[in-house]
Amino acid sequence: MVQCTLVRMGLSLFQSMQWAIGSLLEAAILVLALRNGALRRLPFFTAYLGLLVASEIARWLVFQYVGINSRFSFDAYWTTQALLVLSRAVVVYEVCRALLSPYAGIWKLCRPLLITSGLVLAGSAVATARRRVHPISATTLMAERGLEFAVVSVLIFGLIFCRYYGVRIDRYLAWIALGLGFYSAIQVANNTFLGTWLTHAHFTIWEALRNASFNVATIFWVVALWKPLPAMKPAPVLLARGEYDRLAPQMTLRLRELNTRLLEMWK
Amino acid sequence: MTVFAVTLGALGVLVALFWLLFGSPATETPAPLDARDTEEFLPVNCRYFPQIRQMLETEDHQFMRRRVPRHIEVEWRRERRGILGQYLSGLGQDFGRLERLARLIARLSPEIRRAQEWEWMWLGIRFRLLYRIVELKIALGSSSADDIARLTDPIAGLAAELESRMSLIAECAPSHLHADFGG
Repeated sequence: MVQCTLVRMGLSLFQSMQWAIGSLLEAAILVLALRNGALRRLPFFTAYLGLLVASEIARWLVFQYVGINSRFSFDAYWTTQALLVLSRAVVVYEVCRALLSPYAGIWKLCRPLLITSGLVLAGSAVATARRRVHPISATTLMAERGLEFAVVSVLIFGLIFCRYYGVRIDRYLAWIALGLGFYSAIQVANNTFLGTWLTHAHFTIWEALRNASFNVATIFWVVALWKPLPAMKPAPVLLARGEYDRLAPQMTLRLRELNTRLLEMWK
Repeated sequence: MTVFAVTLGALGVLVALFWLLFGSPATETPAPLDARDTEEFLPVNCRYFPQIRQMLETEDHQFMRRRVPRHIEVEWRRERRGILGQYLSGLGQDFGRLERLARLIARLSPEIRRAQEWEWMWLGIRFRLLYRIVELKIALGSSSADDIARLTDPIAGLAAELESRMSLIAECAPSHLHADFGG
């Protein structure tokens, strides 16, 4: 009966096994997230995990009743995929906010830059994809590649801020961010390969890489959520409002002087 | 070619991600801040400049050239360059300390100015570039103790000012002062 269903869906036994393992992992991680208090700390990430499970069920139902090779299945797959990429973008923003928002000054500086860079990259990805005259599958791949690129770029941008200002990254957030960035970076490369060699043989490799990289990302998330999340730390005590204005000019003056001296030594 | 570049790019992104997430020098140290910790942020090497200058000037360049054999003079120059190089390295560390302190102040401030932060970032990049060039100049033997003196004075001046402010910053966020600027 299982074989009969698989034939009707158009999936091989290997593909079905891979799908089943992936879906089970996703369900398990959602349970872990709910059990270990992720909903309170990272509501968008938890919602994303819920969306993952829901989209797997929706895809399975569509593939079973309409068949995997129908146009409806294609549209359903890419619609859910677009939703998932956008959700990942929101999760990346949530991770950056969790890391940087306790530091009010840095967050005020960083937030507009993250949002602007994300919107510009996503906008340019969609615009580039719309200009393409290739078949719809290639256009969709390019749009997805651009969006994944926007996701990983914003994440790296936020992490550079953390590194520059010496913001400590909690272990669970680091693993979640690694999962997000890993999957997006692999998809950017993977979609480029398929965009270059759009053949059936390459499609199989593309699909296998896609599933494998997502399974690796979910393993990273399992590591992140394996133990209950650490208790919320109290917000850092900030300096008085005028202190930055008092110290900054002195430091700037000295740093500028130092650079001038170094420049004189060079000449 | 595109595929090769994208593969390299993806690998680069993964390495960068791993480094940014797990290569952080930050390790949580819950112990309270004491005097030694605050000293970590203050420039120290520039304070020893008078001794370094004295040491470098005791040997007269002309005297060495006229009175000692060639191989000894070469050795003397090599050692002198080594001392200058080490001292320059110390000044680079001092700059790093000041820079970290500037970032700490920014991190703990409820309001920061974008232009100011960009300027600090730019000054840091420029200092590092110039530093490498001066390092090369010393290695080639074309830099003097006076040059290093010009480099030292601004840091020393700032150190005195900052020392008076450190207690205030330490009171505000001891655990933050502690951990996040290990390197």
